[in-house]
Amino acid sequence: MRPALPWLRLGGALVAGMLAVSSAAAQEGTMPAPSMECRVPGSSLYSTAGLAAAKAALEERHVLKILAVGGSSAPGASASYPVKLEAALEQAMPHVDVIIDHRGLPGEIASGAAERLRSLVADAEPDLVVWQVGTHDAIARVDPAAFTEALDESVAWLKSHGIDVVLVDPLYTASVAEDADYNRIVDGVRDVAAREGVALVRRFEALRYLAGRTEKGEGHILGRQFRLNDLGLRCMAEHVALTISASLARTPAHDAPAPKPEPGSAAPAPRETPALTEPQRAPG
Amino acid sequence: MREPNAIDFWRGFALITIFINHIPGNTFERYTFSQYGISDAAELFVFLAGWSIGIATRTRDGAPEARWRSVVRMLARTVEVYRAQITVMLLALAIIAGAALILDNPLILEWHNAGNFFADPIQSVCGMALLTYQLGFFNILPLYVVLIGVAPVIVLIGRASRVAALGLSFALYLTSLVLDWNLPSWPGEGTWFFDPFCWQLLLTLGFVLQDWSRTTPAFGRLTRRLMPLGIGIVLVGITLSVLDLRPDPLMVPEPRLLFTFEKSYLTPARLVHFLGVLLAFSPIYALIAPRIGWIVGFLSGLGRNSLAVFSMGSLLSLIGQLVRFQTGGGLLVDTAVAGIGLVALGITAWFVEWRSRKAPRPRP
Repeated sequence: MRPALPWLRLGGALVAGMLAVSSAAAQEGTMPAPSMECRVPGSSLYSTAGLAAAKAALEERHVLKILAVGGSSAPGASASYPVKLEAALEQAMPHVDVIIDHRGLPGEIASGAAERLRSLVADAEPDLVVWQVGTHDAIARVDPAAFTEALDESVAWLKSHGIDVVLVDPLYTASVAEDADYNRIVDGVRDVAAREGVALVRRFEALRYLAGRTEKGEGHILGRQFRLNDLGLRCMAEHVALTISASLARTPAHDAPAPKPEPGSAAPAPRETPALTEPQRAPG
Repeated sequence: MREPNAIDFWRGFALITIFINHIPGNTFERYTFSQYGISDAAELFVFLAGWSIGIATRTRDGAPEARWRSVVRMLARTVEVYRAQITVMLLALAIIAGAALILDNPLILEWHNAGNFFADPIQSVCGMALLTYQLGFFNILPLYVVLIGVAPVIVLIGRASRVAALGLSFALYLTSLVLDWNLPSWPGEGTWFFDPFCWQLLLTLGFVLQDWSRTTPAFGRLTRRLMPLGIGIVLVGITLSVLDLRPDPLMVPEPRLLFTFEKSYLTPARLVHFLGVLLAFSPIYALIAPRIGWIVGFLSGLGRNSLAVFSMGSLLSLIGQLVRFQTGGGLLVDTAVAGIGLVALGITAWFVEWRSRKAPRPRP
């Protein structure tokens, strides 16, 4: 198997990611079809960034080691977030072995948890860290400036060791929508992602978008916010997989020679996808 | 009820420090000694537990208690600590769930690793009973259960030979650091926050040093002579933490855990720093105790009832965090939370002693 092949498919995956709202693209089979309930316009969902280490790992070893940090592996053991993420990525990159380690990281980034992250990383030696960050600090009312500084330091540290990072910002729920400090934490994650040039899954915006959508289907015995929260956790894997795929697709090929498209395979170059290349502010 | 003494005093001091440090972001956090060194109150707490075992397994004149009695005593204590952990975990989960319901805020469910429980109660409840499922900040008692559970082995070996007990304990510690041994977390991946294979060394040290101090007059002379060394270590610790200097776990040579500052593994730097803190501060009690009468009484009261006070403290700090979240924090809220918390801890200690005085009467 030629190493370039996954990349052809991934190019297709990017298209699917781009057109996440179009079910036709999702049916191509190159990308896990975003389920109906999780669909969010790309502009509300993520900003991409180059994932050089992950790309190199894919090209050289056909193995992608991801350390998923933070949050629980909810919901349910069999279909938990790390399991779903692994499945979604392996579906998008059939010739790559995706290995996901998931570690909870209770505690605040501004006090202690950043240290713990370093030892988790030293243990796992990942190519890519997917980090759900900010909810703990927001709930603990950590000073947003202190949080942002500590996060920036951690992300810079990861980058200095050649490890790629995808940040996932805090969850959304109605009672925090207007909370100034909470929003400053969310903004802090976004600022760090932009400053350090790492990819960002904008879970807060995505869930806000989903919250505003007409509610169909089952209700939740505990009410609307709990239903939305469940949905957010269910959609995590899809949203992260989409962000990783889109980011990988725009990452220039490493030392390896540029992939030559095989006749008949339609693999658009990352360049053709300007809509995703810059961080975008979500509407609203 | 025993009189105030240095052990109970320092244990009470550790309990208050842990209570304050478990409300992250609060104003008083920066005034705790944990912010100014490599080790913190957890080390003090475990070391004093070992020291207390030394005292508890001998009669007042220093004669060792019958072996079987010591073993049964420690196993009974293990059951007691286990029961406390289960109760505290259940109440903590209820507080988290209750707050999420009342505030209509499901984000709270994700707090402190509680999300796992609510998403996967079937495995989590088993993990809770097995102590492999732990909430963030609720991870000292599981360590304590394991340590008191194996304490009979330490005590019995230590009675035969202090050197053997310390040597075996140190060998296990070193092996665990080199080979990265730890107990697993479950459900979910990962390992215990406090690695019992490493932290057992501190319990053994406490036990052996207590015995040594009891039998050897030279011990006191030696520790006094080493006090300047302790002060030096403390000063280095202050410098490192104020300047935020610490080894990068990806830059240190293998085996990594010998060089980093990780709390989970009580790495050598933390151990050395803690021993420095002991040398520097243990003589302080005799100096300050006569001058701060009621504080000594209060802290010793907390220390005498450490399990109840610790359990209550961990729940109070969780409630304190929720109060800070809902009100937005600030100096006034922090002062109220810390003040009410300290009073509640004092009442807890008083209540436990009041109840035990009443205990002999038949219960209704």
